[in-house]
Order: sequence, then structure tokens, then C-alpha cells
Amino acid sequence: MELAELAVRKALSLGASEAEAYVRRAKTIRVEGAEEIEHLKTVKSSGIGLRVALGKRIAMYSTSILDEGEIEEAVARAVKIAKVSPEDPHWKHMNRNFGKSPAEGYYDKTLETLDYQEIVEKFVSAINIVKDYDKRLSLGSNSLDIGIGNISIANSYNESCERKETQVALLISTKAREAGMESSGNVSQQKRFWEEIDFEETAVGAAERSLKFLKAKPIPSGKMPVIIRNKVFPSILGALLVGPINADWVQKGRSPLADKLGAQIASEDINIVDDGLMHGGLRTRPFDDEGHPTQITPIVEEGVLKNFLYDTYTALKDDVESTGNASRNYSQMTPQPSPHNFILKPGEATAEDIIQETRQGIYIVDTIGEWLSDPISGNLNATVTHGNLVKNGELTDPIKGVVLSGSFYELLKDGIELIGNDLINAGQYYSPTVKLTQLTIAGK
Amino acid sequence: MSEFQREAQVVKSELEKILDRADKLGASYSDVNYQRYDSEFIRVENRALKSYSPSRLSGVGIRVVVKGAVGFASTSDLSRKGLETTLDNAIKSAKSLKSRGKALSESKINRADVKLSIKVDPFDISPEEKVSITLDANKASWISDEVKNTQTYLGCEKDYRLFRSSEGADVSVEKTAVGLVHTTAARVNGVMEGFRDSESMCAGFEFIKSRDWNSFSEEISELAIEAAGSKTPPPGTYPVVVNPVVIGLVLHEAFGHASEGDFVYTGQSVLHNKLGVQLAGESVTIIDEGVIEGGYFLPYDDEGTKKGKTVIVEEGILKGYIHDRNSSGQFGVELTGNGRAQDFENVPIVRQTNYYMQPRDYKFEELIEDIDYGIYLRKGGSGGQVNVGMGTFTFGIGPSKVIRKGELAETVRGVVISGLILETLKTIDAVGRDFEIRTTVFGGCGKKGQFARTGMGGPHIRVREMTVGGR
Repeated sequence: MELAELAVRKALSLGASEAEAYVRRAKTIRVEGAEEIEHLKTVKSSGIGLRVALGKRIAMYSTSILDEGEIEEAVARAVKIAKVSPEDPHWKHMNRNFGKSPAEGYYDKTLETLDYQEIVEKFVSAINIVKDYDKRLSLGSNSLDIGIGNISIANSYNESCERKETQVALLISTKAREAGMESSGNVSQQKRFWEEIDFEETAVGAAERSLKFLKAKPIPSGKMPVIIRNKVFPSILGALLVGPINADWVQKGRSPLADKLGAQIASEDINIVDDGLMHGGLRTRPFDDEGHPTQITPIVEEGVLKNFLYDTYTALKDDVESTGNASRNYSQMTPQPSPHNFILKPGEATAEDIIQETRQGIYIVDTIGEWLSDPISGNLNATVTHGNLVKNGELTDPIKGVVLSGSFYELLKDGIELIGNDLINAGQYYSPTVKLTQLTIAGK
Repeated sequence: MSEFQREAQVVKSELEKILDRADKLGASYSDVNYQRYDSEFIRVENRALKSYSPSRLSGVGIRVVVKGAVGFASTSDLSRKGLETTLDNAIKSAKSLKSRGKALSESKINRADVKLSIKVDPFDISPEEKVSITLDANKASWISDEVKNTQTYLGCEKDYRLFRSSEGADVSVEKTAVGLVHTTAARVNGVMEGFRDSESMCAGFEFIKSRDWNSFSEEISELAIEAAGSKTPPPGTYPVVVNPVVIGLVLHEAFGHASEGDFVYTGQSVLHNKLGVQLAGESVTIIDEGVIEGGYFLPYDDEGTKKGKTVIVEEGILKGYIHDRNSSGQFGVELTGNGRAQDFENVPIVRQTNYYMQPRDYKFEELIEDIDYGIYLRKGGSGGQVNVGMGTFTFGIGPSKVIRKGELAETVRGVVISGLILETLKTIDAVGRDFEIRTTVFGGCGKKGQFARTGMGGPHIRVREMTVGGR
């Protein structure tokens, strides 16, 4: 019998009224190095997350050891903890709607047979591109990660369902030095498929990034139009919007969007969707971490707030159907609503068009700390590590060390002037290049 | 002998066989890291227990050097077959790489069994008692209608690691840590503001019992309400006075990472080629130390090297970097005991231990007395981020105070500081006489896909120029 089902049965036999088991087995191959490879590692990891209910008393337990003896002990401990836990008055039941959506493109079979030699060769090819690119360059911490995961979920209402998923991530990091000036550049790609990783593009991108920003410096404080590159805006969108559209936040009174369902929260050009089915999407999967089928959930349609994201617990609390967004964070085993592929839908303009039509402003190439933005107040904050002044439609002087700030909700309403057509992902967040009418820059 | 030590005895002979087998398969060096880790995290939100999550981790990581190349593999399967397959994977990994000459530096062969002494094992405390402490602290934080959301976590962990190498090293370290973190979100006049604070200690449950967690969470709520009712500072550049928690975090992130040998030898760090350079005023001395009151307990690293006290900056001059066996090999310098792995699934990399600034002689009043308009960063905030190559850093700060004409004035919220670390260091012009180091069991520092628990701190200091952005 599958381990997940075994654990569920065992829990029921010990008196649990409901039980759920989430079993994860994964293999990760990681190459790390600078000018030379420092090491190559292969990690086989495993874990089981148990959730048991005794009526409305709930408990969790997790362990990395997947043998029957350990699982019996784990189940017994979970049941014991449930017995002493206070009742959760909002608890109704675990997910009863198991099933798979027609999602495709989340598993790359070629990774099963990919040998170390090819992995090393590809990685070295990217490093060599940087080495040969320019004498002023050196390499930083580079890595290539390949992950193959196998997840199976069972609960007391359903037999186990299983999914296999893959992920490949490449990071190339460079440093440039010239006449007392220095700069760096990190460029990464994260995809579901090996073939989708463009080693050359990443390496050249990282090389160019360092070279172009050798002379970067802060500019004086002020307000001006800001163009945010497609690889940067997804993180800002994620930092500011993902919490507020989480049903758990809404129910607990933390979301500033709690009473805005059906209201115009953004201009008519803004369309945001959580798509669990997008082919090749970084979080595309047929079912969520409770076994519920995934779906495409419109979040903002022509500026109107349409939906929040639910798991089973939050959905039952609001008496609606789950949107299939249950997600288990490895360290915190309780499922929580979380987006799959969170997408700001692209517009018509190319990034070049957007820059060309800007008389004066700044172009943001890379930032850090955008996650320090406050999703409750909606205050956007990000520190620019790489940017350019835009003068008469052209990128000019390089900039670093200034801070962007502004109200995200005001921006959504009338501050996004142009939306590009160059959709790309940073992790599970997707966005094209956007132009904002005005932001505050804190600089010198 | 502890339960973990007894378990380790069982695998020890298997590990010995693995080291022998590695030798036969052509490894010039091999080491094994066995780990057993238990934790319990209890989460209470809005007066209700939300989760009680115990977890257990156990496994072995095997590192080998074959013709100068490093291969690594890990497993939770501790059977002989499981360990042998894992070793084979490590060897295969190393063989797929080209030799890179000298992979690891020379290391002193240590043999030691160290166990942090504790009075009360947190895993002997009943779930009821732990839940009730957490629930009570959470309930106490509901001090007014302005409090909208509260979360309290209680955490306990026990980490046992055994390191053995083909060179004969045999070092085990067992440590226990406990802590509590509380967050209150308050709304005042339509403005929502959260504040979070935590206290953790490498100790047994006696630490939890010695504290009044109800007043701890009440004070957090008071600060959250005070912050929600206050304004954000206008963005710009100001003189700031920084408290020990914040300076510890800024030092760790913005300077500590730049002093990590792997970032230095690859040339990425802004501290590359700067040994002997005056980076800050003479009052600035920066240390990395393995065992210090209040910090995380790290007497040995995960390569069996003793971690003592490493001077990074002495009276403003850059004196050294921190290293693991890889980076010290690259530099040809002594090991500093900073080779640390998140867990048995990871290769040790250069990590800080307890990173801090040494105190000097200023009293707090003296630090603020000649500031006409500035900000006192009095509480830690939501964390930070740094780019070691560009030398840029940014941090979210908790409720702060305006300093006006030498006196503490109104509270400000949503302070975010940013800057270029080498420029900011030069503008530290006064260092306080107080001192505090903190660690936490609720998270850690991320680097190259690995998390690590650390300690950080220092005295209060004054920085003449800091860029402040409002959130």
C-alpha cells in the first residue's frame, strides 16, 4: 500500500475522525561554482506531513523518515497531540473534492535520464562564455539546480493521488572591475523544462549587466516616471498583492481588499489571473497540496476585483468552493492558500516602445528588498541596485543605491501608464515591463 | 549519554565503513555528516491554537574528493545499502567534474563531543503546557480594540550533528534552543501596522519559564498601536542612531556576507583586495565568534574545525575574512571555523556564526545629544537584503523615534533604510558602551539556497548619513 494511504488508515484506526497524509520524495542535483566548479551534489530527500482531526481538534506531524515504524509512531504522536488541542470552532472537514485538472507541462521526462556529464558541460559552457566575454569580468557564485519531485496525497475521503514535477534553475553571477569602479550582475532563469533554460542568454545577460553598471551611482531625490523591467515587476506584484487576495488574510481582517470584491481597484487595462494550468508554468500542477483540482482564477478583470484564493479550510469558512490553492510550505506544514502562476496579463507595447516614448524618467533593471514593501498599507518600497536614467527615449547614465517608494493601490488605479507585451517570470510571478507615471525616488 | 548520542553510536560503525569504502573507490578525502534534528513549533493566532507541528529530520551527507573534485550526496535511508548507494552517487558526482587542483585546505584533526548543557529538556515538557504558555501570551496581547490580528509562536529544537572524516576527525555537537515570537497588527485611524519581536536562547525550557511572555506580548501590542498612530518619515538622508538588534542585522547582512571567504576569493565582494584598508573610524571593531552569551551555540563548524574568535575589522582596518576549507584553500590561509551546512542535505559553505561590533564608550544620551534632526532606529523590523557585489543594502525597521534637537521625539513607522555599505561604514562616528547579542529559532539567514541559524548584535551606534525611505 502507498505510504500516504497507510498513514491515513493507521490514524483512523487510532481514533482519528479524519486524516490526511502528504508524502514528498525528491531528488535534487546541484552544481555550484565560480570560475571553477566547487562541487556537484545529489540529494535524495523525503518527508511526510500528517494532519489528523478528532472532531474539531486538529494536529500535525512531520518527519523525514519514511519507514513504516516511524510512520506508526508519527501517527500516534499526531493523534495524541490532537487529543489535547483545543477545538477549532471553524473546522468543518478535510478536502472531499479530489481530482486532477487538465494541467499539462509540469514534468520534464528528459531530466530522469540526464547524466552528470551533460549537466556539467552545459554549466561550464555558461561559465566559459563569461570568462571569454571581457577582461574586466570575473565570476561570482553560480549554480544550476535540477529538481524532480514526487508528491502523493491521501485523506480519509479519497485514495491517494500522485503528481511528479520538475524544475530547473540557473543563476549566473558576474563582477566587473575597472579603474577603482566595480559592479555586479546576477541573472537567473527558472523553468519546468531543461530545454527551456537558455545558458547562453543567461551568461551574456550576466556579463552585460556588470559591464553596463560600472559607473552606477545614486541620483538626487525626486519624483519621476519609472519603467520597471519585466523580470523585476513580478516580485513587486507578488510582495504587494498576494497577501491581500489570500482568503485567510481576508477572513482575519488583515487584507486591505477585504471589502473590495466586485469593486474597481485598478484601471481597466489591468487583468490579473492565477493560472494553475498554464503549460510550463513554474507552479502548474493538476491538483493542489490537499488533492483539490487546480483551476484558472481571475483575480482582477478590467480593473475589478473578482476573487480571493482559497484552500479547503478558508473556503468552508466562507461557504464557497476551494479555488484549489492549498499550498504546503515545507517548514510550516499547515496548508495555506497561495497562488500557482500569478500573472499580470501583457499589453501591446514592446519594452523598446515604452523606453522610446519616455522623455524623462528612470528604467529599473534590478532591485533588492521589494519584499519589504508593506502589503497591508500598500506602500511599495524597493532599493535599486541597477537602473538607468531615461532621457529623450534613450537609456543613459547608470544608477544604483536609490529607493523607490509609492502607494501600490494608487498606482493600480491610475499610475500604470503602459503595459508591455514581454511576459516573463520571477519564480511563480509573471509580468511584462510596465511604465508607472510617477514614483518617489529617495536618493542623495 | 543523550538519546541522540545513543542513536549516533548505532550509525557510527556504518559511517566508518563508508569512509573506508570511499578510500577504496578512489577518494583522496571523504567526510560524513550525520544529523538528527527534532523540532516543535506551536502557532496561536487570534487567541486560537492554529497548529502544533512537531517534525523530525535524520540522515547522512557524504562528501568526497576525487582527483581534486568535490562530490556530495545525501540520504535519509541509514541502511548499509542506502549509505553505499549515496556514497556511489557522491563518487560519481566528483568524477564527472574536472580536477580543480587543491580542493580543501589542511585542517587540524579534532576529536570532541560537545553538548550544550541545559536544565529542562523542552521535549520532556507536555504539549498542554507549551500550548498554554503560547495561548496565554497571545491572549495577553489583546490590550485594546485597536489590536486586529495577533500571532504567537513557541519554538523548540534540538540539533545533533556528528562529523567524521577520513583524516580521523570525530566531532559531535548537540544543542537545544527555544524561543517565542509574537506579532501584533493594529489599526489606528484606518492605518494598519504590524510589529514583531522575538526572544530565543540556546538553552533548555528553563529559558521559557524564566520570562514573563504575557508582558512581552503586551509591550509588542503597545508598540504596534503607537506605530499605527504615527507617520512615516519623509524620504531622505539623515543622521541615525541604531540599536544593537538593528546594527547586528545590518552588519551581518551588509558587511558580514561581504567578508565571507567564498564571496571574496571569487572577487564578488566589495571587500575583495581590501585587507589592511581603513574602512571605518577607529572606534569600529567587528568580530565573528562561535560561542557567546545570547548567541547561537557553534563551538565547532560542520567540517570539524573549532570556531574561536575571528577579528574581521580592528579599529576600522580590515584584518581578515571568514573561511571554510574551500575558501581558506583558495587563499592559503588558516581556517576560521565557518564551514556550515544547513543540514545533512547540504555541503558546508562559508557562514557567519555570531557576528557583532564591539562596544566602546559612548552613553546613549551622548549619541543623540548633538543631532538636530535624525531618526533613532530602536527596533528590529521585517529583515533586509543586500547585494554583496554592488555593496547595496536595505532593511525594514520597526517603530522608530524622531530625534529632534538632541532629544527623542515622536514615533515614526514604516522606516526602511538603504545605502552603500562602504560609504555608510565611514559615517559611523560614535559607538556606544552597551552590548547585546541575539539569536532566533524562527528563521535564519539564507545563502546559496541554504538557511543557517546565527547570532548578531553590538552596542548602540551613531551613523552620520543613512538613506531613509518610507513604506
